Amino acid sequence: MHLILNDVEPLHWAVAGAAIAGITLLLLFVSNRRLGISTGFEDICSLALPVPYFRRKAVVSGRVWRLPFLVGLLFGGFLSAVLGGGWSPTWALGIFDDRVGLEPLGKVAWMFAGGLFIGFGTRLAGGCTSGHGIFGLSNMEGSSLVSTISFMVGGILTTQLVYGVLF
Amino acid sequence: MTFFYLLMGTAFGFVLSRSGAADYDFIQGMFLFRDLQLYGIIGTAVVLTAPGLWLLKRRARTATGTPLTIETKPFHSGNAVGGLLFGIGWSIAGMCPGPILVNIGEGKLYALAAFAGALAGAALLGLVYPRVQAPLRLPSVAVGAGDG
Repeated sequence: MHLILNDVEPLHWAVAGAAIAGITLLLLFVSNRRLGISTGFEDICSLALPVPYFRRKAVVSGRVWRLPFLVGLLFGGFLSAVLGGGWSPTWALGIFDDRVGLEPLGKVAWMFAGGLFIGFGTRLAGGCTSGHGIFGLSNMEGSSLVSTISFMVGGILTTQLVYGVLF
Repeated sequence: MTFFYLLMGTAFGFVLSRSGAADYDFIQGMFLFRDLQLYGIIGTAVVLTAPGLWLLKRRARTATGTPLTIETKPFHSGNAVGGLLFGIGWSIAGMCPGPILVNIGEGKLYALAAFAGALAGAALLGLVYPRVQAPLRLPSVAVGAGDG
């Protein structure tokens, strides 16, 4: 299987997994930071929403590293496109286009709905695939095991419903 | 240090982009058990990070010699409830939080809508946290549900 992005051949899973482990450990060893992305959403919210939950210490003190890290993620995706066949804006969405086939406006609504679940769910669970799935599991934390099993179950059930039953 | 974080984010974003972790088809393939690429990636990452963490914790110092501390995440009912909700969103959008940004960088326009939704979802949790705190036995507002 190839990527939607310019039909590029993906990295071998072992290479990608090793690179992620290296970045996780480097971030901790050099800067004493625990890998985790989803609190970055709160960092951004905290810039605009003055509610107590976004004023807590973990959010305010984490902004100095999370915000540049998030900008880096954007840049990494951009670089990957530029070096892999060129960057161009696209609506291409793989099997979604073949099976569900919504026009751009429908896709926007679909993605916004997905995003709502992602933002609310990750912040309620206290982490996402990186903070719970990679760092937390590696650190053998009970809350990460429960969260990871839960989001895998949620994803499997939803995809089975969307592509096994509905479309 | 800002440059270091920017660099680490860029490296992480590049790997997510090229591995399939930021690809709608690979995410659906994982949840349909038709493509095992992402299981291999997460499995390899955990298997290699775990002994590294063990060594770093034993050393208890960062590269510059300052104390190395790892804050573990609190355990509460939000782990299961929030995890399930996140899983639903991961399947719908075909992205988890990091890949939302990676997809925007790649030029996938629909990822902007996922990003807007994720910010709205996080804002919503921040607003209702005091109300769901007792039923889900969440930590105090000052601690939060967990950071990562």
